[in-house]
This record gives sequence, structure tokens and C-alpha cells, in this order.
Amino acid sequence: MESKATLLVDDDEMIRAIKENKMARRQMENQLFNQYSYLIKEGMNKYSLEQEDAFTAYSDTIIQSLENIAGSIFEKRSSLKTYLYKIFNNKCVDLIRKKTTNKRSIYQTAPVSEMMNMISDQAKNVIQQLIEKNDFDLVRKRINELGENCRKLLLFFADGYNDKEIAEFLEYKTADVVKTSRLRCMEKLRGMYTKNNG
Amino acid sequence: MDNMEYIESYFKGNNTAAQKLQFENKILDDPGFADEVAFYISANGAMKQELYDEKKQRFREMYDSHKVITMKPRVRSLWKYMAAASVIIAAFVLTWIFSVNSASPHQLADKYIQQNFKTLNVTMGNGDSLQTGISLFNSGKLDEALSIFETLENRDPANSEALKYAGIVSLRLNNYDKAIKYFSLLAANSSLYSNSGKFYKAITLLERNSEGDKEQAKQLLQEVVDKDLEGKNEAEKWLKTF
Repeated sequence: MESKATLLVDDDEMIRAIKENKMARRQMENQLFNQYSYLIKEGMNKYSLEQEDAFTAYSDTIIQSLENIAGSIFEKRSSLKTYLYKIFNNKCVDLIRKKTTNKRSIYQTAPVSEMMNMISDQAKNVIQQLIEKNDFDLVRKRINELGENCRKLLLFFADGYNDKEIAEFLEYKTADVVKTSRLRCMEKLRGMYTKNNG
Repeated sequence: MDNMEYIESYFKGNNTAAQKLQFENKILDDPGFADEVAFYISANGAMKQELYDEKKQRFREMYDSHKVITMKPRVRSLWKYMAAASVIIAAFVLTWIFSVNSASPHQLADKYIQQNFKTLNVTMGNGDSLQTGISLFNSGKLDEALSIFETLENRDPANSEALKYAGIVSLRLNNYDKAIKYFSLLAANSSLYSNSGKFYKAITLLERNSEGDKEQAKQLLQEVVDKDLEGKNEAEKWLKTF
């Protein structure tokens, strides 16, 4: 990975770009991935992981770190390198433990549980039972059948961009137009899902 | 769409405590609404998973493409290691050469003694007593060997072999004065075709290393070279180290 990793970006610049400059965010995601990609090899050596597993652990590390940086969960108590290293080691250990089950489950349950934690216990039980009835894979399938515009609107929003930023990226007139379009897309998705599943 | 906006607003955390309570009561009272909330959460999880897969795919493509690129730097870095290894080896060789060349005359003499005077070749001498002395020398019985060689020398002062061995044994016993005496007697024997007396005397002087020994040794070595005596090759090298 030397070709790009040689252009090192310091912690402050990278954190600022990820948190504030969302136009440069994707570029910074790539930069972050490249900058510490030597950890993949370290995971292979230290934990005797296959390259694919070490890559998965590292990708998960970067994706989680990006969310933590964007969500201000990363408080700069250590350097970004140390922080990534700790997460990566935990991911490797998790991967080894879960190797016999579903590898993707390392990440998959996180967004659902975040939202669930916002609901009080009684209502949470009701929602939990209903979620368990939902066909997760079918929802994903329907997302990909929505059409490119709707899919982009929903995925940008899920990635933490606000309506104003999405309007800039996707050249909508205003943030309100984005919001209206996005909510319509969500209704459309539910309609497509319940039509075949209901 | 109204419900979707309402649900979204709740999960953005914008609601007051009262609004939150109202929202959660609606979940309990309205199964259709609860279903929409459950779908919203499921869809959000599915979108996050889509994003995760997309990012992972992007990282995969980046990683794979860089792996191809890094094949060249790897070769380059191998050359770096090889170059570094060559420099280290060269440094060792030069250090070794330098250490050999920079050894003092005393060190060279010491080394010569270790290499050449540890054992004696039994074919070198002739006569039973001489061979017995050599055997005793080789078995480490230096005093007994010296006694035999001295006896032979006393019997026949012209016995150059006995003189040589008496000098060598004396040198091994660190009896430098005696060794110098025997080597001097040997060197004085001009009838010999090959005489190592002067060279051995020079070695002994260098080994003793007393005041004036080094200068005297240098003169002897120069004489060995000039007169093409035994030990000339070593003498030439050693003279360069003075």
C-alpha cells in the first residue's frame, strides 16, 4: 500500500475532515484505510488469520472508527493509530471467536441496537418482536430495487449526511426537497416490502 | 409519510420527554404504527449493512489494486535489504582486513607462536632422542621435552635441530632469555642451508616486548628479508606494521 500511504495525513487534519468537511469524507475514508493497512499483515502474523479475515477485521475497524470519529465518540485520548490498533485487535479476537458462526454479525446488529436503546423497555419489547419477524435480507433486496435516486438518498442519510449536504451532493434544489423525496422513498420501500411480504 | 417523518424525528432525538412518552404509548396502542417503527429500524439496519458492504467493497478494490502496485516496491525493498547486507558484509571484511593489517608486531608474533609452535612435526627431526623430545612436546610435557633437547645440545652444540627445539620449548615456557640464547646460537650457524634462528629470535623479542626488543626485532626481521632467510614472507608483512 506504499504508493498512497506515503502521503500521511496527521490525526487532527483527518478527524476534522471526517467530522466537518463531508465533501472530503470519502477521500479521507480511503486515506485512513490506506494509512494503516499494514495492520492487515500484522493481524495475519499475530493472530494467524487468513488474509480475507484480517482484511475483514481491518475494514470493520476502519468503518467503526469512521462512525466513532463522525459521532464524536472518539475523544482523542490516544492517537488515532493507537485507537485503531486497539479496535483492530478486538476485532481480530471477535473474529476468531465467531469464526464458526456468521462473520458479518460482528457489525450487523450494531445499528439496530443503537435505535432500540432509545426506546423504553415496554415499547422496546413490542418492537423487538416485530423486528424479529422482518426479513432483513428481503429489505436489503428491496433497497436495491428502489431505483438509483431513492437508493442514494436513503444511503447518504443512513451514512450520517444531513439533507442540506445531500442536496449539495445530489444537486437537489433545497434540503426540504431532499427530505420530502427521502421520506417518499422510505414509504416506497415499505410498500415494496409489505407488498411481497405481507 | 407523516408517520415516517414522526418516527424519524423521534430517532433523531429531537423530542421532549412528553413527546417521547406519547410516541412510545402509540407503539403500545397502535399495532400498525408499531409495525412502521419496526420496519423503520429494520430498514435502517439494512441500509447500514448496504453501506458497510459498499465501503468494504471499495476498500477491497483499493487493497487489491495496491497489492499489485506494491509488488514493485517489494522488489525494490528486497534490493534495499541486499544492498544493506552487502554493506554490512563489506564492513566486516574491511574490519577484518584492517584488524589483520593493523595488528601490532607483538600480536603477530603471538599469533605465529599459537599457530606454529603448538605441535612439532615428528618428521622434522631425526634420531631417537630428538623424536622422543618432540613426542613429549606434543603431549604437553614441555619441561621434559626441554630437558631432552638441552641434553642433545650439550652433547653436540652443532646440533641445529636440538637448538631450534630447545629454543621453541623455552619460548613456549615463556623463558624468553633462554629461548633467545638458543635462537642466537642457531642463527650463528652459518653452515645451514635453511636457518630460522634470526626469525625465531625476532619472534621471541617481540613476544618478550621489553625495552629495546621491538627495535632489535625490527632489525632482525629486516635482515631476514635482506638475506632471504627463513621466515622472509612473514618478516616482510610484519615490517609494515612497525
